[in-house]
Amino acid sequence: MTKKHFAVLLLVSTASIHGPAIANAQESMFESEQDLSGLSIEELAQIPVRSASKREEPLSHVPTAMFVITGDEIAASAANSVPEALRLAPNLQVQQVDARQYAISARGFNGIETSNKLLVLLDGRSVYSPLASTVFWELHNRPVEDIAQIEIISGPGGTLYGPNAVNGVVNLITRDARDTVGGLVRATAGNRERTLAARYGAPIGENGALRVYGQYYDREGLPGGAGPDTNDRFRGWQAGFRSDFDGGPSHFTIQGDVFDSDTGRLNGDGDRGHNLLARWTTQRSEASAIRVQAYYDHIERNFLLVHDSLQTFDLETQFNLTAGVHEIVAGGGIRTTRDEFINNLNNFQLVPPSRRLWVYNAFVQDRIGLTPELSLILGIKAEQTSFTGVELLPNVRAAWHPNPETLLWAAVSRAVRTPSRIDRQLAALPLLAAADAFASEKLIAFEAGYRGQPTLRTSLTVSVFYNLYEDIRTTEFIGNPLPIQLRNGLEGHSYGIEAWSSTQFASWWRLSLGLTTLWKSFEMAPGRTDLAGFASLGRDPDYQLLARSHMILNDRLHLNAGLRWVGELEPQPGIASYVEADARLSYRMSDQIEFYVAGQNLLHRRHLESADTVRGQAAQRSLYAGTRLRF
Amino acid sequence: MASAPASLRAQPTEQAVKAAFIPKFARYVEWPAAAMPGPRQPLVLCVIGRDPFGQLLDRAASSETIGGRSVTLRRLPSADGGEGCHFAFVQGATGADTTRYLLALRNQPILTITDGRAGPQRGMIHFTISSGRVRFFIDEATAAQRGLVISSRLLALALGVRQRRS
Repeated sequence: MTKKHFAVLLLVSTASIHGPAIANAQESMFESEQDLSGLSIEELAQIPVRSASKREEPLSHVPTAMFVITGDEIAASAANSVPEALRLAPNLQVQQVDARQYAISARGFNGIETSNKLLVLLDGRSVYSPLASTVFWELHNRPVEDIAQIEIISGPGGTLYGPNAVNGVVNLITRDARDTVGGLVRATAGNRERTLAARYGAPIGENGALRVYGQYYDREGLPGGAGPDTNDRFRGWQAGFRSDFDGGPSHFTIQGDVFDSDTGRLNGDGDRGHNLLARWTTQRSEASAIRVQAYYDHIERNFLLVHDSLQTFDLETQFNLTAGVHEIVAGGGIRTTRDEFINNLNNFQLVPPSRRLWVYNAFVQDRIGLTPELSLILGIKAEQTSFTGVELLPNVRAAWHPNPETLLWAAVSRAVRTPSRIDRQLAALPLLAAADAFASEKLIAFEAGYRGQPTLRTSLTVSVFYNLYEDIRTTEFIGNPLPIQLRNGLEGHSYGIEAWSSTQFASWWRLSLGLTTLWKSFEMAPGRTDLAGFASLGRDPDYQLLARSHMILNDRLHLNAGLRWVGELEPQPGIASYVEADARLSYRMSDQIEFYVAGQNLLHRRHLESADTVRGQAAQRSLYAGTRLRF
Repeated sequence: MASAPASLRAQPTEQAVKAAFIPKFARYVEWPAAAMPGPRQPLVLCVIGRDPFGQLLDRAASSETIGGRSVTLRRLPSADGGEGCHFAFVQGATGADTTRYLLALRNQPILTITDGRAGPQRGMIHFTISSGRVRFFIDEATAAQRGLVISSRLLALALGVRQRRS
């Protein structure tokens, strides 16, 4: 949650760990709360803190359904990639489609073609595709060791994150370069995959650092599943750097990545790209702060006889201001993309094949402290894209803290998914006509939740939602009968519960549980048809249960194990419900050397997750051994 | 959603929690008899190298009384003069400095404390942030070599303990 992090800047100087002067300033700001001397060491160890780095602060007070996966939890798990790490989040549904591709969604609409309502940010850089309204997870293969945390919001984030944060936001944050000084080498080998990653970080001056990294991976193809067996072997590399400088009240980050991968289908098939991002934040006074961020991103995908490329420039700025009971965050941004889509495989073409698109936005949100326990949040974002007029994305939230351990919240928000290039401009005459009038898909979401610590050792989060959708994509006849066209003919609602808990039963054992349920009911708007048979609703399980145990058997031996139980996907061809397990046993020979064995999908040799009848392959049991060396 | 600060105000900073922890560590450590101050003499807490705490630590130290002893805070620019300390927060301007200070204190019965934010160099207690909480690792083996005994209550709170060979 980049913007929330920034909001916190208001109160914490990034420089606080570097000088008494700042500590003094903090002291005066927090005079009333800073007297911790009366607490026991056990109580101190339980206190959530506002981190000086703005990257690890607790989210116990954020009035939204948010789950946080910490870097340590990822490093202790069997996950070797970002999509696999996202299986740790109870509020996401992860389907492995093939060796490369995943379909991931929150609150429904899952499927490789249909998961278009989840916005994904990597260190503040959007990787949501304006071509197809999706996330190409296979383009992002950074070492999991560099991840500081992943925040997963289920529910709309439109006001702060903008369009397409309809049903959720995934916000991945990598470690501050100052926290990765030294070297790390990781190697794994197993029946499904081999990986090799290395990084090295060095300080620059007193308050800066730079790290560079590289990762190579080689994944075996998967056997056929809901779809026929395809050649989905996947190998490639990604390298990059991140540098952070912290000078007094300002913090500067510059980072970039470059990657290249082969899919193995046709010669030359594969993906490549690079990106560069700079972000500057400064605290002008205790009450105001500014952030400016800019990035450039280029990706290129080649598959079968299709070539697709996208260049993005993005500039955004944000201001935070505290005045009396008001905490205001406001900002704006501009993004432009230039794409090219050339299809030599069949006659589905984008018209025009190459186009520049613009997105402008401005937003303001105020958190009003009505009483010390009760606050009201009012926010609105206005966004204009090349395809739509101004979309308004308001939200109203109330947060009530009856005591420090408890947060109760409720919210009403509007979110939209704006049309993609494919929605508007894909044509294959005489079959398919371009849809110049395709409008945004719209959501009004009602949410409420509880987050708290019912006991000293347990944290619990429960959220409920009721979502009202309209203008969901349909495929309809507009001629007699041809051509067909993409239109906005579906409407309906969904509701569900999301709950998760974590209990530290002993200093050596933590158990986490998660449950999500989803009910959907959709129908055609009066007089409409859908030739695609409601395909745009995706395929979602009614329920998903997660359990994860982390045990410190002794100071050298750690065991992390997880179970997931995912409901069936209907209708035909159905995917059966399944239970799967993963585990990782690690032996820390010293602070420098760690060996581990791990496995994923341990209970069955193979099982199906994706219902995609073209691409869906069977997920397979994976076993591997690995080592991490630090120096 | 973005602006958590209203409620975050109730949450202390990382530095405040670390500063509150540090003087309390002395309650859970036994020094060799020769290193203990006389009755009613203060325990000496040193900040060696850079001081990231400022007044936070002064206040935490001044409110601490351990077995009838107060805690006196001393700030030292380097490990020179460190032999007078009972416990010390050690942080050099660079990782190499931290290592140098730790080595200089190597033969003393001094409980050394370091912060993972400053680098990977570890004293006997090494702060880290885990799930939004301030936690620490304990190197009981090194402490035992210097004759320090760390109580099980403190060990139980550690994220990890490098155990002494007994």
